[in-house]
Amino acid sequence: MTDDRQSVNSLLPVVYQELRRLAANYLRRERPGQTLQPTALVHEAYMRLMKDKPGRWQNRAHFCAIAAHSMRQILIERARARGAQKRGGARQRVTLDERLMPGGEQSIDLLALDEALERLAAIDPDQARLVELRFFGGLTVEETAEAMEISPATVKRHWTVASAWLARELEGNSQA
Amino acid sequence: MNKERWRKVNEIFHTALEHDTATREAYVQTATAGDAELLREVQTLLNSHMRSPEFLDKPAWAVDPELALGDEASLAGKQIGNYRILAEIGRGGMGVVYEAQDERLRRTVAFKALPPEYTSDPARRERLIREARAAAALSHPAIATIFYLEEIDGGLYIISELVRGRTLREELRDGPLPPSQLLPALISIADALVAAHQRGIVHRDLKPENIIRRDDGQIKVLDFGLARPTTGSQTTALTQDGSVLGTPGYMSPEQLSPGAEIDGRSDIFAFGVIAWELATGEHPFGTDAAAVFARMNDLLEGKTPGLSRPLPLPGLDRIARRCMRRTPAERYPSAQALLADLRALEGSRISTPVPARHDSYWWWQGHQIIVSTVNAAAPATVFMCRGWIGRPLGPRLFLASLALATISVALRLNLFFASRVHPETLVAQRTRVFPAIAVLDTLLAGSLLAAAIALNAGDHDGLAAIFVALAAVMLASLSLIEPATTAAAGLNRPEKR
Repeated sequence: MTDDRQSVNSLLPVVYQELRRLAANYLRRERPGQTLQPTALVHEAYMRLMKDKPGRWQNRAHFCAIAAHSMRQILIERARARGAQKRGGARQRVTLDERLMPGGEQSIDLLALDEALERLAAIDPDQARLVELRFFGGLTVEETAEAMEISPATVKRHWTVASAWLARELEGNSQA
Repeated sequence: MNKERWRKVNEIFHTALEHDTATREAYVQTATAGDAELLREVQTLLNSHMRSPEFLDKPAWAVDPELALGDEASLAGKQIGNYRILAEIGRGGMGVVYEAQDERLRRTVAFKALPPEYTSDPARRERLIREARAAAALSHPAIATIFYLEEIDGGLYIISELVRGRTLREELRDGPLPPSQLLPALISIADALVAAHQRGIVHRDLKPENIIRRDDGQIKVLDFGLARPTTGSQTTALTQDGSVLGTPGYMSPEQLSPGAEIDGRSDIFAFGVIAWELATGEHPFGTDAAAVFARMNDLLEGKTPGLSRPLPLPGLDRIARRCMRRTPAERYPSAQALLADLRALEGSRISTPVPARHDSYWWWQGHQIIVSTVNAAAPATVFMCRGWIGRPLGPRLFLASLALATISVALRLNLFFASRVHPETLVAQRTRVFPAIAVLDTLLAGSLLAAAIALNAGDHDGLAAIFVALAAVMLASLSLIEPATTAAAGLNRPEKR
């Protein structure tokens, strides 16, 4: 187990690099303007990497969790750095598709989301993990179900309530 | 909120969603049974859900591609301090590089804007500044010089020599480096490593993208000491923010192992990979993630990655393999040692084109064997005929031809042996000994002709004819056949090509 964790850690840079490369490919292909497909980026990275070396990771869930968590760290760190660089201290807001935020905000504060996700983890670690897999890891409902070893229906239920909770937290945040 | 209560909220929330909008409110009122806080909790959640049912449906990197890629907006056209930014010339993990005009000194420079995540944290910023200072002290023809480190409005910028030319990556698109350029380029890179390592500066991200051949041919290694904003204690490949330091295809095993010490021998590993790539045009392990993963797996399990094909230059093959050993202790102990081997290789003229396909030696090798056989037969024939040649010429011609043939055959067999075992030294050896062989063989043919004349005088015309024919064959072979087989094997010195 510890051996495995050791090798997982040591291979992470490769995972990051691959994730970024895949992200760049998708975004280059899909930009500008078109709707970006919620692509299972991590899934693809996993499939590519596993083609040669089955059994390297404990299982898919293990890999997906690490990759999604890594993605979260990278994005949040960057968002934080970007915010720090902005003078006046205003947080960078990220433009979101208008349809996603009807009648109100058109942006999402990734840092606020990250903080809210921490609070959610205190109440319900499973739901927080699920959000990490879906939002930061880009997994579909079915893939998330497989990774968490629960049914797709349960994923949907958790997702609905967790995303509503996070949306409410972020609304509260922007009002404050 | 405790977990128990959250479970209850979840339950009511989901059941409420199963109700029609008409009956939902009533259900929630009943289910919360007068608990005002619970009621508010469920209601606000339901409201949030109705307002933005697709919240977070897009994955994070789709929400903000620039953030995911780490792309920063281009500074081209802007004025930053005393620098007028002219054009973007490259983007990498350690920032965006621009061509800029230094308005004080009125010269064009390379202007590198370091990414904010490296500069926002004071401790990391301090380390970065320290490393840049050390790298700026480097003065070497094969290292792009750092002029200044500028802090302007909170941003950190490295101003360095602008190198115009093609990166080795760009050159590799046209295939492997031509043999005449390969060793000189590698020697320049190794020389740059020696200079940097002597000052304790490790590159850490040596790769063809970071090496430029200037338009006048000079090799320049870029970004010394800047590939990683950490020093000393923190020597893992991962920074705190998890960004990648180094490039998977060129990173040494220890750069991938948490906590492992990193020194100049990590650069030597990358050098081996680059040498291989420049010689063959192909990466020794493959650069796509799956190949890199497979290789890393091998390395972590203690296997040296499989390099099935040898390099066309056997001497370089040995050097590159030694560079790419798994543990630092198995590699060259220092860049100096590596440079010394490269120089020795160049001295032995391995840089001259040894054919990639060694079967082109076949004709030349066959020729050497046949000529050696004929030469060995010559003194034997003279010995058998010494009586007819007469005294004292017969025995003397025999001794002379024996001496000449022995030396000539020894030299030829030595070359034959070299072509089988040390092909990289063959050109040099052949160039050195061939004049001697030519003289020996000519004298040997001469002694046969002398024997023929003596036999002719003694009325042994038949035997004389055989000796004349033998001498003629030897001379024709030396002057016509040997040059042809030598050229076919590509063994001529480059000046003659």
